[in-house]
Amino acid sequence: MRLLSWVAVRVAVCAATLTVLSVLVFSATEVLPGDAAGVASGPAATPAERAAVRVSLGLDRPPLERYLDWAQGAAHGDLGTSMTSGTSVTAVVGARAANSLAVVLPAALMILVIAGTAGTWAGLHAGSRADRVISASGLALAAAPDFLIATALLLGFTLWWPVLPAVAIVPIGQSLWQRPELVALPALALALGGCGATLRLLRASVAQTAAEPYAGFARLNGYRGPRYARSIVANAAGPAVQAFSIMLAGLVGGAVVVETLFNVPGLGQELTRAVAARDVPLVQGLSLVLGAVALLVLLAGDVTARLLTAPTRRNGGSR
Amino acid sequence: MVATRSRRLGAGIAAALAVTMAAGCGSGSSESGAAQGASTGGTLRAAFAGGSTETLNYLQGPTALDYVRARLVHAPLCELDADAEDGVAYGVVSDIQVSKNLTQYTLTVRDGVKFTDGSALTSKDVLYSLQAPTLLKGLPFTQLVARGFDLDQATTPDGSTVVLPALSPIADGRDLICQSMLAIKAGTTEFTTGTPSSGPFTIGAFEAGRSTTLRRNPDYYGQAPTLDAIELVSIADGTARVNALRQGQVDYISGITPAQAQTLDGVEGATVTTSELPYASYLQFTMNTAAEPFDDERVREAFKLAVDRQKILQNVYYGRAFIGNDVPGLGFAHYDDDLGQRTYDPERARKLLQEAGAEDVQVELTAGPELAGMVETATLIVEDLKAIGVRATLKEVAAGELYADYEAYAALPFRAGYTPPASFEPNWAPGVFPDVDALVATARSATSADERLDASHQAQKLLWERGNQLGVMFVPNISAASDGVSGVRELQFPDLARATVSE
Repeated sequence: MRLLSWVAVRVAVCAATLTVLSVLVFSATEVLPGDAAGVASGPAATPAERAAVRVSLGLDRPPLERYLDWAQGAAHGDLGTSMTSGTSVTAVVGARAANSLAVVLPAALMILVIAGTAGTWAGLHAGSRADRVISASGLALAAAPDFLIATALLLGFTLWWPVLPAVAIVPIGQSLWQRPELVALPALALALGGCGATLRLLRASVAQTAAEPYAGFARLNGYRGPRYARSIVANAAGPAVQAFSIMLAGLVGGAVVVETLFNVPGLGQELTRAVAARDVPLVQGLSLVLGAVALLVLLAGDVTARLLTAPTRRNGGSR
Repeated sequence: MVATRSRRLGAGIAAALAVTMAAGCGSGSSESGAAQGASTGGTLRAAFAGGSTETLNYLQGPTALDYVRARLVHAPLCELDADAEDGVAYGVVSDIQVSKNLTQYTLTVRDGVKFTDGSALTSKDVLYSLQAPTLLKGLPFTQLVARGFDLDQATTPDGSTVVLPALSPIADGRDLICQSMLAIKAGTTEFTTGTPSSGPFTIGAFEAGRSTTLRRNPDYYGQAPTLDAIELVSIADGTARVNALRQGQVDYISGITPAQAQTLDGVEGATVTTSELPYASYLQFTMNTAAEPFDDERVREAFKLAVDRQKILQNVYYGRAFIGNDVPGLGFAHYDDDLGQRTYDPERARKLLQEAGAEDVQVELTAGPELAGMVETATLIVEDLKAIGVRATLKEVAAGELYADYEAYAALPFRAGYTPPASFEPNWAPGVFPDVDALVATARSATSADERLDASHQAQKLLWERGNQLGVMFVPNISAASDGVSGVRELQFPDLARATVSE
């Protein structure tokens, strides 16, 4: 019950954060030099043509009025229309979010498996040769920029051993979810890029827990093998889960390089383009969804971490 | 900002690796030379930058893909064609006559052209097509006809004649009418997959930012296309387009950078093509004559002499561009080829700066990634200027930022910019050099062709001597195709209507 009310408070804080975020994003786009009319008109337009474009986009109206109009629509699920194409922002954002998730979710799963296994193993065998190899690999992956990993995968799987498509070309009427072969490379690139940091955090946390007196006590009491590993991981997972959720939240909108190289039309790539085109309703819609997703992921991370640590606390209390 | 930069760096490294690949193990290409011969039917898969902003409304379509698609779906009224008698190739408009005093243009509509809904194309449709940019709030680049003609006073005396009164006498009205105007049915207000059209292809399916499927229009009035279908695919990133071509996921890619094209050189099964003149964008660096030190024409000349254009051509464009002579319109009929090519003369540049008392003047050049090689060229120009003692710096702005605030852009003292392929006179922006403005007016309105050409050349000479544009390069569009593809016309935008692909 206490957990539920805690979650309710967190959700309310999230909603407030999103409102503040929308104001901040709108102000930021106002501060940026130029507007969609300037970008759309290009250099060859006459001043009169430029002014006409500005009026037809509604940019001659005061900023506050435009924001309130937008916010009113957003409250009812209508994120407005794109200034550059006139299409519904809700539709664009929905499609882009589906594409991003189609890549990020398999990537997250891979990170969980790779970083979870390797990190735990290295932490439990801290100082061993395996630990050194795993830790060094983790460090290398964490340090390698996304484009390097993506390019290496492209070279490996599309040129030297051409078994996977180089870019994601999804036929009309299908979605990325139906084409695992198109998702494989971008998801792997994201997973490799993201697992280094998570792996190292989990390893450190496991190694630290394993060095605690109670771990030695457990060993003395005959805890061995999987049973011992489980008790250590249960205690070490809290901080690692939170680190994982922060990394995941960043992945949803921050995968611009991978999305670009593999032609996955996702949220991050769309946001970059929308900012360049000064397409304020689209920037607003994308930021809002990215913000909401990030806050949800962080919330899920916090709740999971709390659930993981709760039993220990209860044990401590009963002792 | 960081994302943009790392992306560019990423593309660079990917390109570099691909170069190594191509040199080291040429067998990496999965494409084998397609069998020559059979070239009827088939589907061409062509990739362009595209994006979620794509729209079927070509009047508001901001991407090149929107116009490429529209050009396949809607027949052109007429097209610029430097080799043709009137400088234009006729489409659904079969002839354009100009009155002696250059104030009235009479368009004849081709007989037997039908829209996909079965209705005949008449003069009413042609007039509506010309008025549509104004009526449907088209982007400024579509407003060219409205700048020269009084479209409200235009009439259609019969089903095959349109009479257009000019706002003032102009001789180059054909250029305006034929630059980018497509035929649409009178009353069209929205563009969907079902909108009646009269071009060589019809739209089967369309999804913005993903792809368009086009099918051959069996009732097309002109030369029947060979292809059964075309699939236009959106791939936003140039390196990704190159990768898609190399792997055989697409047959044709457009709009790649010279560096990306370089990675395809020597790759078996792929050929790189650049658009021919006059279809090259004019890359220019404008010196604001209202600001110091550019109010002194000696400084402007010094800057023009200080730049090593050959080095830019080789190092930025790998030879895939045309050196400019500080005058727009290279390749168009009125371009003055007799002006001597500006040489690279840092010594004389230094001397001119001394005379002007501007030896160690400070300038900031603003540039952004709006055209392939713009920032790289700006970087080399800044280096060349430093070499003659100018305290030059480069201000690089993010993608989309350069023109976003046009008033601020126009006020910059030294700025990069580009204009799409266009002839000099109709696109001249007056206001800076009154004597050039007067000559351009004569070049557009004098009744004799010789008089017009002479005025145009005089204007170009003045610009060459005292002008405020450092016009270093004309940049073509670079495309690449796998071996089985031919017949793509590299015009202002690639025209795929007559393409063939052998299976």
